[in-house]
Amino acid sequence: MSSYIHEFESKVKPKDYYDKVYEELSKVNSRLNAFNVIIKPEQDGVPLSIKDNICVKGVESTASSKILRGYIPPFNATVVDRIFKTKRFSFLGKTNMDEFGFGSFGINCSKPARNPLDEDRVAGGSSSGAAIATALLKYHVAIAESTGGSISSPAAFCGVIGFTPTYSVISRYGLIDYANSLDKIGVMARSADDIRIMLDITKGKDPRDPTSTNTKITDLHHKKLVVIDELLDKVDDKIMSQFNMFIDKLKGLGYTVENISLKEIELSIPAYYLIAMAEASTNLAKFTGFKYGFKAEDFSKPYNDFFTEAREEFGTEAKRRIILGTFIRSASVRDKYYSKSLIIRGELIDRLSKILKDAFIISPTMPILPPKISEADSMSPVQNYAADILTIPANLCGLPHISFPYSYSGSLPLSAQIVGSQFNDYGVISFASEWEKNFKYKFKYNIGEI
Amino acid sequence: MEGEEFDRLLKISRIKLDEKEKQSIKRDIENILEYFDSVNKFDESKNKLAFHSVEINGEPRKDEVEKFEDRDELLSNTKTYRGFVVGPKI
Repeated sequence: MSSYIHEFESKVKPKDYYDKVYEELSKVNSRLNAFNVIIKPEQDGVPLSIKDNICVKGVESTASSKILRGYIPPFNATVVDRIFKTKRFSFLGKTNMDEFGFGSFGINCSKPARNPLDEDRVAGGSSSGAAIATALLKYHVAIAESTGGSISSPAAFCGVIGFTPTYSVISRYGLIDYANSLDKIGVMARSADDIRIMLDITKGKDPRDPTSTNTKITDLHHKKLVVIDELLDKVDDKIMSQFNMFIDKLKGLGYTVENISLKEIELSIPAYYLIAMAEASTNLAKFTGFKYGFKAEDFSKPYNDFFTEAREEFGTEAKRRIILGTFIRSASVRDKYYSKSLIIRGELIDRLSKILKDAFIISPTMPILPPKISEADSMSPVQNYAADILTIPANLCGLPHISFPYSYSGSLPLSAQIVGSQFNDYGVISFASEWEKNFKYKFKYNIGEI
Repeated sequence: MEGEEFDRLLKISRIKLDEKEKQSIKRDIENILEYFDSVNKFDESKNKLAFHSVEINGEPRKDEVEKFEDRDELLSNTKTYRGFVVGPKI
């Protein structure tokens, strides 16, 4: 398959096409919790969903948090404006997620997301809804967001393609921030070519986001693949044996594979979480209980009491991260934790950039198959964070990466992740395009098939 | 982390927890900090602090006044009184 967008645009749609899509999607959504809001499209475009932490004018945007319920943005995020201006897409709704992006399994929210391939299992997170929507709809693209793996993880668990660009390539204006130096808006789709189309539409400098850039994006094709041994230490044996078969297949397609050791890569998890929590704890301070969404009623209370009361609306993981982030930023430990993490980030960028000069880094996307919701619920925070080992290094270092299925274990997909050098975004997309010529993705649902 | 230290942290974080939540989050935070302590094994870098992963020009846009087309819509997410946002006492 080259492009579902082009195929959709070339087809004659039945008159009641969107009525049927809306009806079928609403029915499935009541079980899977992919969407927080579903809208029946008015235009005749390709169905498009947008993660609930990206603002769409006039549509409730909550980042799946109770503290933002009722918040109606009076503006579009730049990424939304750029897509709407093409008049090629029809907005279908806002997708579910872990509250503010705090989670890897899509269960830190009021309506836990369910994997369409096995409804007892998690869909991955935090862009859980975006991945489920992509797995459900034949013609559709999802705008998602990743801070530490929030695109790759759900894309892998739901068997779709998930692309996270180099930090700064897609404007963050209108994104409800989690961690400013790590957040990246990206795309999920059923083909790499559709991801390329969306990157062309959304990339580029935005005067409203001073961290956005116009740096030229390259399309370097490397035939050398690097495997970092320390990343594979935590991977489930069943996944490893399949991944090794995949590597053999790639060798057969002309790729060379080199194993290297990079001990410091293990520090990327604590360094990432320390930076993310420090930034999150300041970002969440803007939800004061009188400006966005939820309103505390008693204005006679002193400010600090009013503020504290409003913050009771946060979920447990958000509270945990605010407390930790506040601690990490305190003067007595700032150098020990926060500054040290920034140094580690710099060091890892240097080391990974050297490796990526003439190669891609390859690994499984997730170290485990999607766990059952009950299993994920009982995992400790440290176990949760450790599950991100394969997606965090690229996210911490702002490197473009793409996740795509390479095999199946029963009904569940096994996905791999390709990481490229900064601004070689088209390069990683091209890798997935090449792979698709040799492999047919399987989808259980094809809502909207014509 | 001592009980008093944790209470002070909750106060400056402006987070209120019931006793059960407090015990469980305190235990989580101790475990997480123990895990985070591993960053201190690393001290051989001459790198500067990497506040961003890519080189950012960081130049802010020009500070120009722009008229927002729909003032009422802008204020629709707040409680207002005579065009002002109503908030708590400072």
